[in-house]
Amino acid sequence: MSSSKKRRVLTYGRRRQLCGWGFISLWLVGTVMFFLIPLVKSLWYSFNTVTIEPGQINTQWKGLAKYTYVLDDAKFTAALESTLVETLWKTPLILIFSMFIAVVLNQKFRGRALARAVFFLPVIIVTGPVFKIINGDIDSTGSRTAEQFSTMMSTDLVDELMQFLGIYGLSDKMSVIIGAVADNIFGIVWSSGIQIVLFLAAIQNIPPSAREAAMLEGASAWEYFWKITFPYLSPFILANLIFTVIDSFTSPMNAVMARILRMKSEVLYGEASAMAWIYFAIILAMIGIVSWIVNKFIYYEND
Amino acid sequence: MAKGKERVWGFFRFVILAGVGFVVLYPLIYMVSCAFRERIDMTDPTVMWIPRHYTLDIIKETWRAMEMGKTLRTTLILNVGCSLVQVVSCAVTGYGFARFNFRGKKLLFGIVIMMILVPPQLISLPMYTQFRFFGIKGVFSVNLIDSMLTMYLPAMTANGIRSGLMILIFRQFFKGLPRELEDAACIDGCGPLMTFVRVMVPNAASAFLTVFLFSVVWYWNDYYVSTSFFTNTQTVATVLYDLDTILSRALYGNANIKASARELIVWKEAGCLMSILPILIMYIFLQKHFTEGIERSGLAT
Repeated sequence: MSSSKKRRVLTYGRRRQLCGWGFISLWLVGTVMFFLIPLVKSLWYSFNTVTIEPGQINTQWKGLAKYTYVLDDAKFTAALESTLVETLWKTPLILIFSMFIAVVLNQKFRGRALARAVFFLPVIIVTGPVFKIINGDIDSTGSRTAEQFSTMMSTDLVDELMQFLGIYGLSDKMSVIIGAVADNIFGIVWSSGIQIVLFLAAIQNIPPSAREAAMLEGASAWEYFWKITFPYLSPFILANLIFTVIDSFTSPMNAVMARILRMKSEVLYGEASAMAWIYFAIILAMIGIVSWIVNKFIYYEND
Repeated sequence: MAKGKERVWGFFRFVILAGVGFVVLYPLIYMVSCAFRERIDMTDPTVMWIPRHYTLDIIKETWRAMEMGKTLRTTLILNVGCSLVQVVSCAVTGYGFARFNFRGKKLLFGIVIMMILVPPQLISLPMYTQFRFFGIKGVFSVNLIDSMLTMYLPAMTANGIRSGLMILIFRQFFKGLPRELEDAACIDGCGPLMTFVRVMVPNAASAFLTVFLFSVVWYWNDYYVSTSFFTNTQTVATVLYDLDTILSRALYGNANIKASARELIVWKEAGCLMSILPILIMYIFLQKHFTEGIERSGLAT
């Protein structure tokens, strides 16, 4: 009796297993063909000189030569440095900004629906070439054709925002700092769409019991943020951090990516692959270190 | 006292939101303002936002330069088509990862996470050779470059643009649905596939809407993949990417004449406006469901 029951459980389990494989089989085939094989090939190319002839692709083993060549390429290392530095200071700003806006958007006030619709708007535009045009940044050839447009826009923006806020005649040093931040306000605001959405969703998932407890204890709004909101948000800081880094990584305005594309257009495929792998390794290491640190401060409710 | 505090904060909140909202809306307002004005208004210092001379010529000229009729048709068939196919394939995959236990699941899900982390630029070159000599090595191979299959095949197998993220969203969502749904369907004699189609999909409407919006937007905005595998396609994004050249050719009859950025602004802004208008309209209709969908999709749990 018990053995037959056991067998039935097993077969049910096995059937579920097969069904699981069935549901993911299409993806699995695709992943092998369009993800895993290309990934391995790309790693292989980075150790080779790649030449394309009609009908086939030839590779010639060069060991680490491509990597040393790439690391000697001053343009690449410069692009790498500037991109990494930018990611380092922009990411925390984006996270703080989006968390702040999410907290504000969660409050009850008139016009909230409209405010939300406006703030999520960048989500639909920021991944496309329109963003490149309105941000007026470096185009694919590396020339700054849109520079004039860009500067016109950002100075207008700063001035008008300042005047709008009623700020005139600040001290010089102060206005330089504000100017630098303001020049980047556009980029920060426009890169925060998804992060705001995620933080907002997380805030709305804070259990009402936590809120009631805080009310009963008479917590001020400031205390409420640090004692309740922030701990509940902490897992999403990590998620958003990773998302922000990946987003800057794949952004069409990334100088490193522009350099890689340039290599590719010069048919230096081995070098292009080596560059991409170096960049990818650095980003992975960065994400790894930061997640390790951040993980120590995260509060998980289920633990 | 408390009320006064509330009022002060309300005022600050308004100032902050208005300021940031201004930063978000600025380019859009500027687009509308530019697209309908005549060129002389660009050099007129008294004109900032509201043009003095209205005209539809700029819109018409840009429409012609971008060959919008043809471009929109290609975008619809290629990008929007792929995005729809990908929503379905990612939903099926996400469901498989969410509701079934099988050996190797952890490893395979690790690959999904890898798909999110690996930038498309890293694998685009081997993908090119993959499509250039598509088939089994030594047996047969076909050239798929310039064929729509280069975008449809990955989309069909849940490996298209940012598919890792979409699988993740669906998995989180399906994981959150109650087990009883499945049991009830099982008792009523539904097989796993039927359970998925009849019971799970109708319950996942908000997740579908969210992923659908993302999928359409990402495919609509994509120029990288579309330019990698095609020698000559005209989707909205690729046309926009070469807008300077296209406009110079159309307006001055020569692609080599680089007009100054300032001179081209009106046409560029008109082009931007036309290309984002369709997704903008879609967003306006869907945005309420979209934010609710994310809240409910369990992305936050």
